[in-house]
Amino acid sequence: MMPLRHLYVHIPFCLKVCPYCSFYKERLEPTRMRRFLDALLLELERESGKRLLQPRTIFFGGGTPSALSASQLEYLLTGIRERLDLSALSEWTLEMNPATVSMSKARLLRALGVNRISMGVQSWDPALLSVLGRVHTAAQAERSYEILREAGFDNINLDLMFAVPTQTLAQWEATLEKTIALGPEHISAYCLTYEEDTAFFERFSSGLYAQNKDWDADLFEATLDRLEAVGYDGYEISNHARPGRECFHNLAYWEGADYLGLGPSAFSTCGAERWQNVADVQAYTSRIFAGESAIGFREEVDASTHLAERIAFGLRTNRGVALDLLGPWQSVVDEYLSEGFFTHDGARIRLTRKGKLVADTLAEAFV
Amino acid sequence: MSIQQTRNFCIIAHIDHGKTTLSDRLLEVTNTISMRESTDQQLDSMDLERERGITIKSHPVAMEYTAKNGQHYTLNLMDTPGHVDFAYEVSRSLAACEGALLIIDAAQGVEAQTVANVHLAHKQGLTVIPVINKIDLPTADIESCKRQLEDILAIPGDEAICTSAKAGIGIVEILESIVERVPSPKVMADNRVRGLVFDSVFDTYRGVIGYIRMASGTIQPGLGVKLMSSNKNYEIKDVGVFTPKMETRPQLNAGDVGYFIANIKTTAEIKIGDTLTEQRHPSDEPLPGFQEIHPMVFSGIYPINTADFEHLKAAMAKLQINDASFVYQAESSIALGFGFRCGFLGLLHMEIIQERLRREYNMDIISTYPSVIYEVLKTNGELLTVDNPAFLPDFSVIEEIREPIVKATIMVPNENIGDIMGLVLEKRGVVDHTESLDTRRVMISCELPLNEILVDFNDKIKSMTRGYGSMDYEPAGYRADKLVKLDMLVNGEPVDAFSSIVHRDKAEGRGRQLASKLKEVIPTQLYVVAIQAAIGGKIVARETVSASRKDVTAKCYGGDISRKRKLLEKQKEGKKRMKSIGKVNIPQEAFIAVLKSSAGG
Ligand SMILES: Nc1nc2c(ncn2[C@@H]2O[C@H](COP(=O)(O)OP(=O)(O)OP(=O)(O)O)[C@@H](O)[C@H]2O)c(=O)[nH]1
Ligand SMILES: C[S@@+](CC[C@H](N)C(=O)[O-])C[C@H]1O[C@@H](n2cnc3c(N)ncnc32)[C@H](O)[C@@H]1O
Ligand code: SF4
Ligand SMILES: [Mg+2]
Repeated sequence: MMPLRHLYVHIPFCLKVCPYCSFYKERLEPTRMRRFLDALLLELERESGKRLLQPRTIFFGGGTPSALSASQLEYLLTGIRERLDLSALSEWTLEMNPATVSMSKARLLRALGVNRISMGVQSWDPALLSVLGRVHTAAQAERSYEILREAGFDNINLDLMFAVPTQTLAQWEATLEKTIALGPEHISAYCLTYEEDTAFFERFSSGLYAQNKDWDADLFEATLDRLEAVGYDGYEISNHARPGRECFHNLAYWEGADYLGLGPSAFSTCGAERWQNVADVQAYTSRIFAGESAIGFREEVDASTHLAERIAFGLRTNRGVALDLLGPWQSVVDEYLSEGFFTHDGARIRLTRKGKLVADTLAEAFV
Repeated sequence: MSIQQTRNFCIIAHIDHGKTTLSDRLLEVTNTISMRESTDQQLDSMDLERERGITIKSHPVAMEYTAKNGQHYTLNLMDTPGHVDFAYEVSRSLAACEGALLIIDAAQGVEAQTVANVHLAHKQGLTVIPVINKIDLPTADIESCKRQLEDILAIPGDEAICTSAKAGIGIVEILESIVERVPSPKVMADNRVRGLVFDSVFDTYRGVIGYIRMASGTIQPGLGVKLMSSNKNYEIKDVGVFTPKMETRPQLNAGDVGYFIANIKTTAEIKIGDTLTEQRHPSDEPLPGFQEIHPMVFSGIYPINTADFEHLKAAMAKLQINDASFVYQAESSIALGFGFRCGFLGLLHMEIIQERLRREYNMDIISTYPSVIYEVLKTNGELLTVDNPAFLPDFSVIEEIREPIVKATIMVPNENIGDIMGLVLEKRGVVDHTESLDTRRVMISCELPLNEILVDFNDKIKSMTRGYGSMDYEPAGYRADKLVKLDMLVNGEPVDAFSSIVHRDKAEGRGRQLASKLKEVIPTQLYVVAIQAAIGGKIVARETVSASRKDVTAKCYGGDISRKRKLLEKQKEGKKRMKSIGKVNIPQEAFIAVLKSSAGG
């Protein structure tokens, strides 16, 4: 049996819920945390009974994994170390919110094997941080970054957001410059998406906020230009890294690898099976303890769906897609090549700058 | 019952003056229908009629009435459609009567179709009984109505009966005056069988049911008859009267109004205005006034979902069985796929058919902009009729294009005359004369191209006059004019559904309007979309839909993959339902928006 190489763990708690965010999360409730952590460990045990787990990458996402206290983190990470074969592990990422970073936590994480931190900065501009309803200040974010460095993290990603309401080009450029000056190994720069069931979406629907695709495109292009110029390789639509510092966990998703997800709302894909746990801490916990399945949704990813996904998501990365996968769509590929959306080096197809801007429209042809 | 005891009358009025409501009261007072079983608008039996409050078909009904003189009478009532689209059907209903109740809305006074209907009634030699209805309204002005009767229609005002159909006032007076004033049916002396067919319906179980007024002779089951326009023979299976349900009678005699059923297969065989006669002793001449009716307005009807073509075809066939004035023929459009070219009596008729297709047959349809029939004289002397701009021959072989003209009468308050004259001019009309009706209103007689008044003319009159203006029109032949074909091109390819025939002077403006409307409704796509309006190959307007600059999801983590893929699939599915012209996808909604917008005309 081929071992499973990628593990995701969802920690669905945040100090405060941001008005734009649609990830599954709850307000932090420290009292019942132990039970939840035990459920995670129990789920891990059950899953390792079913298949061979030998991860190369682990990703603790959320929510805000760093919202857990140092002792809770210690309990969870130790528990995981005890139950997992980590001999193949090369990347262990944990997402942090700047308001939840402390030196003790950072040292602890480092000591327990976490070697990559992804921190949500979003902006260095106080006014925009308040538009985004963030719990931290810019100064706090900068201090947290320094703490992480001091604690020995040499692989750090900072999340940024552009096209935020009221944001000017100058504000965005300043945020980019400040980030570049700090020199993280990796920068994720996301265009704000109005996700359904968020306060931002409501404001967008009511006309309070507006979206201007041209403006989004301008900011997006400015981002690509600037980060490219200072040596960050835009290896995926929103992700930029120093050479060799890509997020291998995310690359695995985009390249169609199998992965196991633990925790409420987490997705897993193994071969033709894909499933998602219920997005509800209570239900998740009680089902796990009752020995029941925590799965809330299942779907079969047949060969053609799998191929469609590999193409659609592979195209988003600068590795692109092997030309031979695109055989059935020869005429579309030719059209996109001649219209300047695609380039190729003989073996692989890649998006051009022009193509990146409309990657979704292009991907439609292959699903 | 003797013929002296029969009265045949119809109700005529401008649209909405209360014909149907008044008929209901007459049915109740004569106990033809008891109050309890009465649903409002008793005679409007089609759902659509009841809902829109517009009478579409003629509805005959026989009422029994004992008058104050103690005598017993059969009163045959005909409710007729008030809309100009159905003017011919109205004229045939009138021909089946000796008298007409002329309803005038006390708050509105005499309106354009009031005048037109009175002319029709006089032409048929009918006795006209004026009725001023809706006197319960606070805005009712009985005196002014009486003056208008005299001034405009030369009918003595004091002959008018004042009623409220709603409140049930004056109903008995109407019945009495029908008995007194309407003559009993005149009968031709030779006793040959002559029956005027004034309408027909199709019943799934009984086949075609002809509505008939016997002018002379008697028909009964077993009689061999023929329809004179087609010379086709049939055998009578059943005859009877409407009470208002169909009720079998042994026979129908001269003067009677009722129905007959023979072995007639489709309503297309039985033409409104035709004469039914006996095979063995036929009448020498048909009854006067028969005309073939021809559709005046054409439009393409297409299924939104191309797979529904066969359903649509079946639905159209069913509709036509009941309504022979609706014609259709398969056609195909590059933009819309397979559908039908349909002909209608007028715009209301068109809307009704479209609505019935949607509602009764659950069809999702799209219809192209309505067109009239053009006569095209080619340079080689050949004369074509063209009801679809797409089939206009090349301009190099066209000598001239002639368009249908109507004679219109428009009645408006004095203060609106300037606006209305402006509107007429804008619609390329020529005012013939204007005439004061009384101190408040004028009547404008003018000629207008039918094409120009197809869509919003009546609405415009209504809104310019706050509802007080009205109009009526009749066909007045064809006239040549500087007409051109306007094509809309998308990335250089003509989209046939958007082609139209327009006057040279208006073509550019309309081209610009259409182009900007299209720009609004065509979504941004991967490529730049050029929209052009062209007259005979010359581009007169252009717009550009710039290519979409950004369409890319920002964040795509592991869990998002299913959701994202499904979004892509959905988007793609959506595009499948669009029509593609070259590389450009035009959503169905875009077609609808353009075809609906008044810019489409
Ligand atoms: N106040 C008042 N309203 C009336 C009276 N008679 C009819 N109406 C209203 O006038 C409107 C039109 O009445 P209809 O009986 O449908 O008119 P119609 O002449 O049959 O209309 P078409 O068949 O469309 O030509 C309806 O809303 C009736 O309720 C009346 O005596 N008084
Ligand atoms: C799970 S959060 C990261 C960690 C932590 N919860 C935080 O917010 O600091 C993932 C990241 O997704 C991005 N994100 C969340 N919602 C988004 C949205 N609606 N549009 C664009 N990016 C979004 C933010 O940059 C955020 O930092
Ligand atoms: S952005 Fe991060 S902190 Fe904010 S609600 Fe989402 S997961 Fe929580
Ligand atoms: Mg009516």
